[in-house]
Parts: sequence; structure tokens; C-alpha cells
Amino acid sequence: MDSFSSGSTGAGSPQISTDELMDQMKVQFAQAYAQEFLETVRGKCFDKCITKPGSSLSGSESSCISRCVDRYIEATGIVGKALFSASR
Amino acid sequence: MDPSLNSAELQRFLSQEKEKAMVNEMVTNLTSVCWDKCITSTPGNKFSSSESACLSHCAQRYMDVTLIIMKRVQSMQ
Repeated sequence: MDSFSSGSTGAGSPQISTDELMDQMKVQFAQAYAQEFLETVRGKCFDKCITKPGSSLSGSESSCISRCVDRYIEATGIVGKALFSASR
Repeated sequence: MDPSLNSAELQRFLSQEKEKAMVNEMVTNLTSVCWDKCITSTPGNKFSSSESACLSHCAQRYMDVTLIIMKRVQSMQ
């Protein structure tokens, strides 16, 4: 974060407010999380559904991918819930 | 409007986001591990009850294992 600390900025250099900075960061974090999730799901579902890559995606492969994405999202929910509502 | 980049508000925001990132990482890793362990066949239109039970158990047992490992390592120090 050193590149952000400019001390007293000279006249003419635009200052970003804390709120604007936080908003921008929230957007970037959300994008990074979404990107990571996409890559994870792609890897898992490719493994499960595309056993022998052909010259095109078959109908059953496409619908497998769709179901797989739904299931993976569901699995994420189940795991999240198990982690945070476990009573010890 | 506080233009200070060292504001307490920003620091608080950053530590909240850091915690969110750690939680996200844990859920992401755990889902990946438990998916591999529990979902052995081609994904269907819904999970069987044994599949969803497995996912849930997997997450909980993983946390148990984490605790055991931490205690063990601590007892060695």
C-alpha cells in the first residue's frame, strides 16, 4: 500500500476520498472472488463431464456442465453452512 | 469526506476485508476437497441425501482435524 501514501499531495493531483477508495476496492474484491470461483467450477466440471474431448461439445456434456455448476454452487452452500452453524 | 488514506475507517475496512478473504479461502478450499471426496458420480439434478450428508460431515470433520493438529503441534512446543 506504499504507493498510496503520498503524504501531502501537491496542488493539482486529485485526491480520492476514503469512501470512493473503499467502494473501488469492494468492486475489485468481488471481481477477484467471482473470477476464482469461475476457475474452480470450470476445473471441477470439466473433469466430471468431459471424459473424452471430442470435436465438439455434445448435448449431454453441455447439460452435465449446467447441472454440475448448479451442484457446485449448492455444495458451496452446504459446506459454508456446516462450517458456521456447527455447534460445539 | 475524509481524504486521509491512513484513516481508522480505512484500516477497519481493510481488516474486515482481510477476514472476509480468509473465510472465503477456507470455504473455497473446503468445498473443493469435499466435492472431490463426496461427489463421485456424474452430477445430477439434485444431490442424493447421502451426497449432501457427506458434504456436511466432510466440512465438520475437516474442522475437527484442524483442531487436533493445532493442539498436537502446540503440545510439542
